[in-house]
Amino acid sequence: MQTSPATPDTQADDLRRAAIDKSVKGPVLFLFLNGAFWLMASTILGVLAAVKQFAPDFLGPCSVLQYGRLQPTHVNALVYGWGVQAGLGAMLWIMARRTGQELKSGKSVLMVAAVFWNIALTLGLLGILGGRSTSMEWLEMPTFVWPVMLASFLAFAWPMASMFGRAFRPEGFMVSTWYVLGACFWFPWVFLSANVALHCLPGLGALGAGINAWYVHALILLFFAPVALGASYYFIPKVTGQPIASAQLAKLGFWMLAFLGGWTGMQHYMGGPLPAWMPAVGAASAVLLLIPVGVVGLNHHLTTLGKHSLVATSPTLRFVFFGSLFYPVSGALLALISNFSTGANLQFTQAWYGFQIVAVYGFFSMTLFGAIYYIVPRLSGCEWLSVRLIRNHFWFSVYGIAAIVVTSLVAGVQQGADLNHPEMWDQNFSQLALNLRPYLIARAIAWTLITWSNFWFLVHLMLMVAGLGRRSSAPTLLAHDHEDEALPNAAHA
Amino acid sequence: MNTDSTDLDRLHAAVRREKADLEPGREPAPLWVMFLFMIIAIVAGGQLGPMTGGWSFSVSNPFSLARHGDPRPGGGAGAGATDPFQTAMKKGSSGYAVCGGCHQGSGTGIPGQYPPLAGSEWVNGGTERLIRVVQHGLVGQVTVAGQNYNFPGGMQPFGAAMSAGDLANVLTYIRNTWGNEGTMITKEMVEKVRKDESARAKQWTQAELESFASANVPGEIPAGPGATVAAEAAPAK
Repeated sequence: MQTSPATPDTQADDLRRAAIDKSVKGPVLFLFLNGAFWLMASTILGVLAAVKQFAPDFLGPCSVLQYGRLQPTHVNALVYGWGVQAGLGAMLWIMARRTGQELKSGKSVLMVAAVFWNIALTLGLLGILGGRSTSMEWLEMPTFVWPVMLASFLAFAWPMASMFGRAFRPEGFMVSTWYVLGACFWFPWVFLSANVALHCLPGLGALGAGINAWYVHALILLFFAPVALGASYYFIPKVTGQPIASAQLAKLGFWMLAFLGGWTGMQHYMGGPLPAWMPAVGAASAVLLLIPVGVVGLNHHLTTLGKHSLVATSPTLRFVFFGSLFYPVSGALLALISNFSTGANLQFTQAWYGFQIVAVYGFFSMTLFGAIYYIVPRLSGCEWLSVRLIRNHFWFSVYGIAAIVVTSLVAGVQQGADLNHPEMWDQNFSQLALNLRPYLIARAIAWTLITWSNFWFLVHLMLMVAGLGRRSSAPTLLAHDHEDEALPNAAHA
Repeated sequence: MNTDSTDLDRLHAAVRREKADLEPGREPAPLWVMFLFMIIAIVAGGQLGPMTGGWSFSVSNPFSLARHGDPRPGGGAGAGATDPFQTAMKKGSSGYAVCGGCHQGSGTGIPGQYPPLAGSEWVNGGTERLIRVVQHGLVGQVTVAGQNYNFPGGMQPFGAAMSAGDLANVLTYIRNTWGNEGTMITKEMVEKVRKDESARAKQWTQAELESFASANVPGEIPAGPGATVAAEAAPAK
């Protein structure tokens, strides 16, 4: 398109898109940059927490630096610091672009909301480190933070919903926008329900644990998954220039995820003191979720068929492509830990952590990195500085996350077999923990690789936000297509 | 001006080189995919079925409706439903590792040094005496199965270092292994002896224990030889 002469028509369109980009620049860059900082913190904490598991004396006896405080801080920083913030940034940009609406007013409200989100998060994470954890998974932060975070989120969800409401919505409009719109509504629903139930209703007993497990699953399936899917459905056609293969499959994938996402979770306590039908329904939904997961995977596959060479060239496509590959992987892992046959073994093992990390890092974050590589040059007015840094980010992330997934799953199989083995019932529990040592060492190494990759990502992003990127009209590509050598400005970045 | 326009070109280059948003295609889903999804749906349905406990809020056992009953040991009704005698034997066999150093794994002891447990009247006799020996230790000349033993220092007291439950399990184990057969010794029995002898600090001697030689600690015997309590009814399937 850039090679065709600029007709007044395309020029007007270019200007309109440039104006939209400009209108969301502040909040989006703020969210991305803060998200990248928290991601850095989370990965460092991930290394420390993994080391603490096989070398408990590491870092000395200070109570702040024990596994029980480092691990929840690591996960919460990843989920709320990086995940939700980066997700909101990408959602806002995609929604504005897809609806063709500028962010008209209330930009300062968004900045204030983003600042309050970060303040609440900082206090919450310090609360965990200071020993005030609520000990509820993914909700460890002290109870005073959640109303602030909810209000901040709603401040972002409102303009997105109203953009959607004002937009002209032709057929085929839904695919990425509906995922983003869904995430705007589902996060407040899931977050509010879980917090009110767990913090405000007395005497829940065992059901509280079930609600907590539901929250973790629902947040992954109804926030992280739709945001990442919205991004991949937007960027894959955008970069390849190939339309999404099937509107029918896209619709099916969306509605089945929307319907099933909220039904799963309680199977985490299968065989536990919950009414038996609750885990059974959760297990059935978790297995059924393989269908929407497979539908999306198939659709992406049909869309990118024959365009795989672009994966080598475009940083955006490369990250989005690999993030999308991890969607079926996380779906399969969810089905494995959730059904009654393999779940009885994998329940309460390292595989559960593996699932969380593959969903939040492997699938969601990798896709979001791709989105950031696409969005930021449009907002900051300069191009990514270094191909080497991007490549570095990609490969260390891919190797790190793959190592975490594989070791967590294998460790989970072994740990579950140990725990369930009839001859192990009177063994020392610490012996079972010692059996996991090699996997935990591998996990620490994997987080170190990811930390390394994210350090350079953070530096790169900071330079871009500061406007110190490359002054050029050519995109930063990882490699040049052979056919495109003559056209360095190839349109896939 | 010229410089301005090139600058604008550069600023908007990223926007200008973008490809247009495209409408999704209309490719229908392949048929084999639909078959695959049916298989997934059948597996998912298998997670419901009998596992739902009849959709009752008061049933938490996922196997309550299973045709072949609960596959877990004890029928899933918790530790109460497992045979307490078998549990004690199993736990006792690992606890015995402490005793085996002297009395040997085969329970035969070492002639002239450590008395045997297999076929010993001390083990098979009154539980009052047996519990006291292990709880507080035994010193001086002892006669076991017709042989005299007098190991310097005697047998150490083990009671202080073991919980009543662990002690009871080990004693049940030695009373029912190597051809021995005796009633179970329960945690409650050990606790009762500990209470009766709470002032005792010294090791016992054979003479002191003569009065307990055939006395049994009163108490219910939940399972195993000479059980006094009827076996619990099997849990409802």
